[in-house]
Formats: sequence, C-alpha cells, structure tokens
Amino acid sequence: MNELMGWPEFLIVFACCAGTMLVCRVVPLFLLKGKELPESVSQALGFIPPAAFAALVANDLLTPGMFDAGLWPAAAPLLAAAIVVVVGLKTKSLLWCAITGVAAYALLLMI
Amino acid sequence: MQVMPSREHIQQSLSAALPIMLGYVAIGIPCGILCSSIGLDALQVFLLSALFYSGAGQFMIPNMWIAGAPISAIVASVSLVNTRQMLYSASFAKACEGARKRVSFLFAATVTDESYGVNMAKFEEGGWSVGRATMVNLFSQTSWALSNVLGVLVGNAIGIPLAIASFAMTSIFICLLCTQKITAANGVAVSVAMIGVFLCKAAGFSGPAILIGAVAGVVAAMVFSGARAR
Repeated sequence: MNELMGWPEFLIVFACCAGTMLVCRVVPLFLLKGKELPESVSQALGFIPPAAFAALVANDLLTPGMFDAGLWPAAAPLLAAAIVVVVGLKTKSLLWCAITGVAAYALLLMI
Repeated sequence: MQVMPSREHIQQSLSAALPIMLGYVAIGIPCGILCSSIGLDALQVFLLSALFYSGAGQFMIPNMWIAGAPISAIVASVSLVNTRQMLYSASFAKACEGARKRVSFLFAATVTDESYGVNMAKFEEGGWSVGRATMVNLFSQTSWALSNVLGVLVGNAIGIPLAIASFAMTSIFICLLCTQKITAANGVAVSVAMIGVFLCKAAGFSGPAILIGAVAGVVAAMVFSGARAR
C-alpha cells in the first residue's frame, strides 16, 4: 500500500486525468461540428447510444466468474435489473427506474 | 441570442437533471469518503470532482492508490477509461451545430455517462437546446462536487452501502437502454456491445472494456445494415 497521497502526487494525477478527460470530451465535438457528415458517419453516430448504454449496463452487471461465489450474489443484481427493465418500458422515467432499482436490489440482498 | 436562461428553461433542465443529481448524491458521498481515506482533503476532492468530474475515474484513483499502484499506472488506466467520452462528444456534434463556441465548449467539457443519456434522449424528443443541455450538465456537476465534499467532511458518519447506491446509476443506464428504438440493427449493436464488454473483462482489459464493447457494437450494427441494404 502507498502512503497517504500528498499535494505533489495529487497534482500530477489531477492534471493528467483532468487533461486527458478534457481532450476526450471536447476535441471530437469540435472536429465534427459544422461539417457535412457522410451518410455512413451519421449512421454510425446513431448507433452510439444503444451500443454505449448496452456496454455500460453490461459493465455493471456482468463479470467473468460472477457465479463462482454461488448463484444468488450474481443473480440478485440481474433480477433487480429485470425489474428495472419492466419499470423502464412502462414508465420511461429515469427517477422511477433509479428508485425501484435501488429498492429492489436492497430487498433482494436482504433475502 | 438570449444570454440569460429563462426561468422556464431552468426548470426544464432541473427536472431533467433531478434523477442524475439524486444518483450523484448517493455515489458522491461514498466517493468522497474513499478519497479522504487516502489523505485527500476537501479542497483536493472539490477540484477533482469539479474539473475532472468522473465517477468511474474518481473511484479508480483511490482504489489503485490503496492497491499500491504507481502514479504512472493510475494516470494511464484512468485515461484509458476516459476515452469512451470521445463517442459521446462525437455524437453531440450535430446538436451543437448552431450553438456558440463558448457554450459548446462548456457543454462538451461537462458531459458524463448519465447526462449524455438524458440530453441525448431530450435532443431526440426535439425542442431541446444546447443551453438547457449545458444546465443539465452543470446541475449534475454541482450535485457531484458537493456530494463528494460532503463525503470528505462527514466521513464514515453516514453508512451508505456502495453496491446498493451505485445500482441507481445502473438502473438509469437500463432505463436509457429501454427507451432506444427497437430495430434489428439496434439489437445487433446492443448484443455485440454486451458480449464485447464481457469478453474484454474476461481477457483482463477492464479499463477500456466499455469503449471497446461500444465500438464493437457500432461496427457490428454498421456491417449488419450494410449487408441488409445490399
């Protein structure tokens, strides 16, 4: 284990991480902005939302070897996720999804 | 062009940002607690949350530091995780077409996974503006920064189990996924992205898993549409 992080180490980590983050957040938008995009590029951009959300969900729910510790610890978040899918399709409300998701997961862990 | 946002626009942005803000309180406080455990003070955590502003990144830094990782490894891994923001940035290019440079910059610089999803859905619905989208980002950022600082100040006095709190974010992503148009090509994008993330993690590439999975999903959907059009 490292010792506590002091200002010099903090400043290096902070400056580098914030710097690469700013470049990733800003540069692509300004490169593409105001350009007439070819059909294939705009089609690809349209596939980003479903692919990105699927990747984020999979990253949260799926881990190799997740069932090693038994069925339940890995099945509980999956079951809670299934409940959120139902609520999401019915209400399309982020707030309701977040509330039911947390409640369902907490209840399932108590069982 | 209007300089000050109208009261109505502020309200619309606030109500769009509310689920994100609540979620950020739930995970921001534990994040602040974790950061303070490696010796960061309230000012450092505020700078990190306000200017770096990344949930995943801010959990990675203290976790890797505790595990004894060198600074170079921390910076490299966090930067790799940051790269998925490029996809979001690219997909907002069209929405920012008519917006002023400074507003576009402020907007782009404050996009997160969650605010990307909310604003993308709003732009698709129509009647949304870069100004309001920027306010959604700023409301969310404020909530994140304050919650992190609160975490440092109150420390472990509040016991929020992180696994449960972070499920709020997972639920938001699931909801955003549910509201995508159901087409065969989108189905291909979703399945390939999920399989891609899983395979990346299985191969030990957890850092870039989201980016690689998402890009694989986009490419697969493009190939699929191309093959069908022929």
